[in-house]
Amino acid sequence: MSQTLNTKRAQRNSAGPYGKIGQSLNELDDRLGIAKGGRTFLDKIFPDHWSFMLGEIALYSFVVLLVTGVFLTLYYVPSQDLTTYTGSYLPLYGQKVTEAFASTVNLSFAVRAGLLMRQMHHWSCDIFVGAIVVHMGRVFFTGAFRKPRETNWVIGTTLLILAIVNGFLGYSLPDDLVSGTGIRIAYSIILSIPVVGSYVAFFLFGGNFPGTSIIPRFFILHVLIIPLVILALVGAHMGLLVRQKHTQFPGKGKTENNVVGTPMYPVFMAKTTGFMFVVAGAIALLGAFAQINPIWQFGPYTASRISYAVQPDWYMGFLDGALRIFPAWSFHSFGHTIPLEVTIPAVIFPGILFNLIMAWPAIERKFTKDNAMHNLLDRPSERPKRTAAGVAVAVLCAMLFIASSTDVIANFFHVSLNTVLWAMRILCVVVPILAYPITYKIAREMQGFAGAGKRKTTNIVTRTLEGEYVATPAPVYVDDLTHEHEPDAVPVPTYVVVGESSQDDETISGVRRVPR
Amino acid sequence: MKSRFRVPFLVVAALAAIGPVVGLASSAVASTLTQTPYQTGRVNAGTPNSTNVTRDSAGNVVSYGNSAITYTAPSSALTALGQSLFLENCASCHGTQANGVPANGTSGAFPNLVGLGPATIDFWIESGRMPAADPRAVQANRRVARLNHQQALAVAAWVNSLSPSYPDIPSPNLASANVSDGAALFALNCAACHTIEGDGDALAAGTYAPSLRNIPAFQVVEAIRTGPGNMPRFTGNLSDFQVADIVKYVTTEIQHPQNPGGAGLGGLGPVAEGFVGLLLGVGLLALVGFWVGERQ
Repeated sequence: MSQTLNTKRAQRNSAGPYGKIGQSLNELDDRLGIAKGGRTFLDKIFPDHWSFMLGEIALYSFVVLLVTGVFLTLYYVPSQDLTTYTGSYLPLYGQKVTEAFASTVNLSFAVRAGLLMRQMHHWSCDIFVGAIVVHMGRVFFTGAFRKPRETNWVIGTTLLILAIVNGFLGYSLPDDLVSGTGIRIAYSIILSIPVVGSYVAFFLFGGNFPGTSIIPRFFILHVLIIPLVILALVGAHMGLLVRQKHTQFPGKGKTENNVVGTPMYPVFMAKTTGFMFVVAGAIALLGAFAQINPIWQFGPYTASRISYAVQPDWYMGFLDGALRIFPAWSFHSFGHTIPLEVTIPAVIFPGILFNLIMAWPAIERKFTKDNAMHNLLDRPSERPKRTAAGVAVAVLCAMLFIASSTDVIANFFHVSLNTVLWAMRILCVVVPILAYPITYKIAREMQGFAGAGKRKTTNIVTRTLEGEYVATPAPVYVDDLTHEHEPDAVPVPTYVVVGESSQDDETISGVRRVPR
Repeated sequence: MKSRFRVPFLVVAALAAIGPVVGLASSAVASTLTQTPYQTGRVNAGTPNSTNVTRDSAGNVVSYGNSAITYTAPSSALTALGQSLFLENCASCHGTQANGVPANGTSGAFPNLVGLGPATIDFWIESGRMPAADPRAVQANRRVARLNHQQALAVAAWVNSLSPSYPDIPSPNLASANVSDGAALFALNCAACHTIEGDGDALAAGTYAPSLRNIPAFQVVEAIRTGPGNMPRFTGNLSDFQVADIVKYVTTEIQHPQNPGGAGLGGLGPVAEGFVGLLLGVGLLALVGFWVGERQ
């Protein structure tokens, strides 16, 4: 303290091995105690498997959503008051439109980069929900949701539902002809809820459809309330991930009690930052070169107008498809209409579906009686029943998604719409039922097939002096030589050996192995 | 017994009611006439009920209409040519008298063309739908026309000579049409089948609303005024000026849209967008993840 630092060398030495930055970090640590948490964070081990990047696509497209969304709120006017459009798009000039519609068209045509931002926002939404679904598939088919990660599975499913809902709300905000039709359908779906439907619908819309308050209400839900909940849940999702540490695929040196991978700093941080820019760049390219939702062509929504060939965004497709193909069952009794044609496909079906997804870890535990902690992932073929069930549900949703474009299919392939409708009705029942045994059989077969999913080795064909051709298999890859033999059927582990040390300690460069 | 007392009362009441109505209507007509002198009234639009009717020496209507759409009757000089063309191309189904009864056939098997008006005949021939490629098809497809413009007019002239009717062949004048009004009217009247982007779509039981991307202006008017196939016939609710607005919107903004924002993805809407978002977006990004991550 009394020492005078009068030379540069003395100053540098006193700053410690990490220089000025290290010194200021030390100062911070003295006051905030960041060293312990920071070290844990920077040393967090990420398993390197590529499928762990799928969730990051969702995370980074959410970042793009937030940034572009903030831009859009600067120009969007959430109001259903009528105004006369006097902008640059001639076919709308002089028409009475809502402020919401006019401001969205203006933000597309009159605001610099407005259309790019709007298209990026919409594309990143499509990618956001898509990446969530793909990530969820990875988690499901590898059994990553098992104990102790059931809570995170439920949080993730909630995030998916919120993403779908918020996507629908945002899609509705421009108040164009197509999205207005979507709001009309949503209103009818709410009406079809037994007993409370009409009260809920009137409460939500502030009266009968269309009213003048649904756009402002959707706006506040879309830009404030639901994004906040999503942000909080994303925080909880990631926090639990750090707390419980990653799962990993079984492999050399990987056990239930360690994590093998690259540390946060510097390897993973470089990777993930680069990946963020790739995601943002891909969305920017799509926004620049692929048109999405050209609302100026659709015109404003009024309740008296309708366009044919209206589909929702893809993540609502399975609901729209279910509505389209469900038989027209409705009946009247006790002075009420019971619209089963709407209630079953649009209220009961999604209710069952998402509850089933949420409850899946519990359901599976009920059947397997497996109460152990799991940090090693399954190969999908090792759990044929789970894989088959997942494929059946995924195929059902895919079929319903296709059913949401019956008219487009009929028009494109010049088939009768009625034929397509009946084909989809049959396919939606038959295909999932067929998918289960087929997937089960394939999974079982893959268990018995040594080397399934492994890299194939080459055959070296040589010709002898006599002219005979001899094919000799080339030596297998070094990795494969040391790999353990393929198990016939993997029994569900009932306990985990604690303190089991890894057999071989040779390390791949850049990969670190730490105990859990 | 009762009706005998009621009839005079009703007559008096009706006369009393008609008085002011006629007065109002005449003043309304007068005011519209002063604004747009040749406005075709909405009732029976497309028929010669306006003042701008030209007749030949025999008293037949040659043309009528207004500044938005002029309807011209096909020349009666073409009638003989029309009959021979009809016998050659159409009579095998529609019969030699155009009444829908082919030789040895039963009545009602094919449409009766008598009294449909020239625009109907002209539309079906000039859009290539007739002569039909497959007479049993649910809906005739648009294709390259078999007969040329003059021949189509000739057939229309002959069929019309059997029982003169309207509408005649329209020729729209789009110079003063309002594309914005056209867009609004299109959304209200046309988009429910043809879709708001004009691409058309499948309707029930094998029928479909055709795409509007390559339809000439006069055929759009013919279709609106005559209602081919499943399409409703718009006469009462659209004036000639409104039809011209719609035609202008269709031939400019639907056929040549000003369409910023990149590739239009076939105008298929969220279906195509979903595929692009999932395959190109999520798929390519997953591939990048595959590249960045470890594959074993």
